[in-house]
Amino acid sequence: MNRREWLKNMSVLAVGAIAGPSLLAVFDAHAASQKPDAKPQFLKPAQYTLVGAVADIIIPRTDTPGAVDAGVPLFIDQMFFAAYTKEEQTRYLTAMAAFDKAGGKPFMQLDDAQRKALVTKLHTEALAVPKGKTPPPAADFVMMSKKLTMMGFFLSQPGCTQVLQYAPVPGAWHGDIPLKDAGNGKSWAVETSLKI
Amino acid sequence: MEKNTYDAIVVGTGVSGGWAAKELTEKGLKTLVLDRGPMVKHGDYPTAMKNPWELPYGDEPTQADIARWPKHTRPSFYGITQSTKHWFADDIDNPYEETKPFDWFRGYHVGGRSLMWGRQSYRLSQMDLEANGKEGVGVDWPIRYEDLAPWYDKVEHFIGVSGNTDHLAQLPDGDFLPPMDLNCVEKDFQSKLSDRFNRKLIIGRTANLSAPLKHDQSPQRGTCQYRNLCMRGCPFGGYFSSNSSTLPSAERTGNMTMVTNAIVYELIYDNDKGKATGVRVLDAETGHQTEYFAKVIFMCASTFGTAQILLNSTSTRFPNGFGNDSGELGHNIMDHLFGTGARAMVEGHEDRYYSGRRPNGFYIPRYRNVGTDKQKYLRGYGFQGGAGRQDWTRLVQEQLLGADLKQAAEAPGPWYVSMMGFGEMLPSHKNFVTLDRNHKDKYGLPILNFDAAHQENELMMSKAIVEDAVEMLSAAGYRDVNSFSMQANVGAGIHEMGTARMGRDPKTSVLNGWNQMHACKNVYVTDGSAMASSGCQNPSLTYMALTARAANHAVEELKRGNV
Repeated sequence: MNRREWLKNMSVLAVGAIAGPSLLAVFDAHAASQKPDAKPQFLKPAQYTLVGAVADIIIPRTDTPGAVDAGVPLFIDQMFFAAYTKEEQTRYLTAMAAFDKAGGKPFMQLDDAQRKALVTKLHTEALAVPKGKTPPPAADFVMMSKKLTMMGFFLSQPGCTQVLQYAPVPGAWHGDIPLKDAGNGKSWAVETSLKI
Repeated sequence: MEKNTYDAIVVGTGVSGGWAAKELTEKGLKTLVLDRGPMVKHGDYPTAMKNPWELPYGDEPTQADIARWPKHTRPSFYGITQSTKHWFADDIDNPYEETKPFDWFRGYHVGGRSLMWGRQSYRLSQMDLEANGKEGVGVDWPIRYEDLAPWYDKVEHFIGVSGNTDHLAQLPDGDFLPPMDLNCVEKDFQSKLSDRFNRKLIIGRTANLSAPLKHDQSPQRGTCQYRNLCMRGCPFGGYFSSNSSTLPSAERTGNMTMVTNAIVYELIYDNDKGKATGVRVLDAETGHQTEYFAKVIFMCASTFGTAQILLNSTSTRFPNGFGNDSGELGHNIMDHLFGTGARAMVEGHEDRYYSGRRPNGFYIPRYRNVGTDKQKYLRGYGFQGGAGRQDWTRLVQEQLLGADLKQAAEAPGPWYVSMMGFGEMLPSHKNFVTLDRNHKDKYGLPILNFDAAHQENELMMSKAIVEDAVEMLSAAGYRDVNSFSMQANVGAGIHEMGTARMGRDPKTSVLNGWNQMHACKNVYVTDGSAMASSGCQNPSLTYMALTARAANHAVEELKRGNV
């Protein structure tokens, strides 16, 4: 049996052997929340639209898919819905309200160039704030949205496989090789995670 | 009674219980293996093949998860993620008390923490086994390196340990599979440490198959695929767990009976025979109580699991807990100092990279109080770490948005290196766990209360760990050297040990040199509770070697009619 066949057999085993119904139920529920037609649960429709517009400026579609293509607005909604605290939810919504006023008129009423200019200006403002300090709310919103957009995008399938490179089953470890020989030479989507 | 009677009972199925099950069944004993949690068959790993985008919430815990696992979400090697949370005991249903803060991370299922362990596999050395006796700390180990060496050989051969032969007296070599490569920055650091400090940096020794096993006893195990997702369970069998390795061997003998959801809450003592005759078990799902009987009992329920059962097993002979004539049962808790170290950025090497995800890092073996080095504290520490290239998270703080941000993320970032110390904690009678009979869990069983803290030696060492890490990274010429210190309680190293220590004297220890209870010869304890000192090496390999050795002894003693 060559390696390819062997791998195929092993993955069949992996799928076939999953038995624990209680565990499976949990993951079915998660899978349901990730379907493309899933609706936002935390953000109101207008907020959801605004978050999508900002995410699109942070990571737009180029020759590869962008944040909106990758489902980032829904990812952000889910993170606030389930993963973040009440305080974090409030901080984000408060910052969003400030952001929506920062451009003179509601963000969605600005034209594309104005939106981009505003996000860029507030981003610069946020970066100027010393480390460890929270930027003013409108700039804070841009920074939080940048982090969340990047996280959602670089964990997404297009982010992992089209912008970065991803090997689900590398099969081997080569510890010290020329960059040009490391797959296509792009950054690996999933790092060797000795995160200490 | 007859249908519930076996030659041997093994309590627990983690690294120790799996080995006890394999050895006892292979030597022909009809063996009952009990685990308090549900069955996990090899391959039954629901998240193992999930891609990053198939895991909700960016693999982070939700607020509901944090509410369910308030203790398991504390900083540690573990933590609750969407891909691993199903392996961790629920803190609400499984409470414990903390007179002093203590991190107790548990896996209540078949395989226990052998499924989630860090896999680093190091031998203790003669220096480690002699230290207590020489320094008058705790009690002298009743065994020496030569007692353990053949059992280390046996265990390494069977489980498969990848490592390099390094010729270090303080870290004996073993029967290794090929070592994994260091990357370019790790090699650079290795040569600088050698030149400037005469210290060694070696590739970690890990229970992952860098090549096929050297035996044919585990056909279900394939080589490591370098996914570095071990903690989810490996459908390839690429790393050692009880599920992938020892339990299938025990099963194949036809001598193993496994009962799951079986919470052992008490050992049965027979005054007339002067022996343990069996165990009392509560079904975790139905509450139904059953007694099982055997000639010999192996306690492998983990350091605190075993302590809890023994403390709860009182009788006229053992009013203070089973085998507790010495008063040391539950005492001498040790863990490894954990959570402090340093990181740095490394310039250059931009044309070098790596491929695959190595489930392993580098190791700087102990150099303090070794040879001519003398410190004001006793014992020492090793460092575990790794180097890599920064990912997209570095760009959050850069002046980049839009297409420029996307493009910048495509390129691997600059190199960094980070390392954390693992320090030896001394045994102390003052570090202990007790049963709180006024506070019971949902099964009606009294829960544990922890009272353990780092003492003067540990605090001195903790400071030295950070100073050394910063000094080494700085001397290597790396920039932005920063120390870090996690808020890690005792227990956060997940290397808990010591609650039923081995020793020569029944007055000061619970077990003899064969892991056999001084006061009840047909009870063996072979999990971390047996440890008389902690070394600074990851301890699981030693538990396995002790277990295999004790199982062999038990079978010999049964044959001789001594137990």
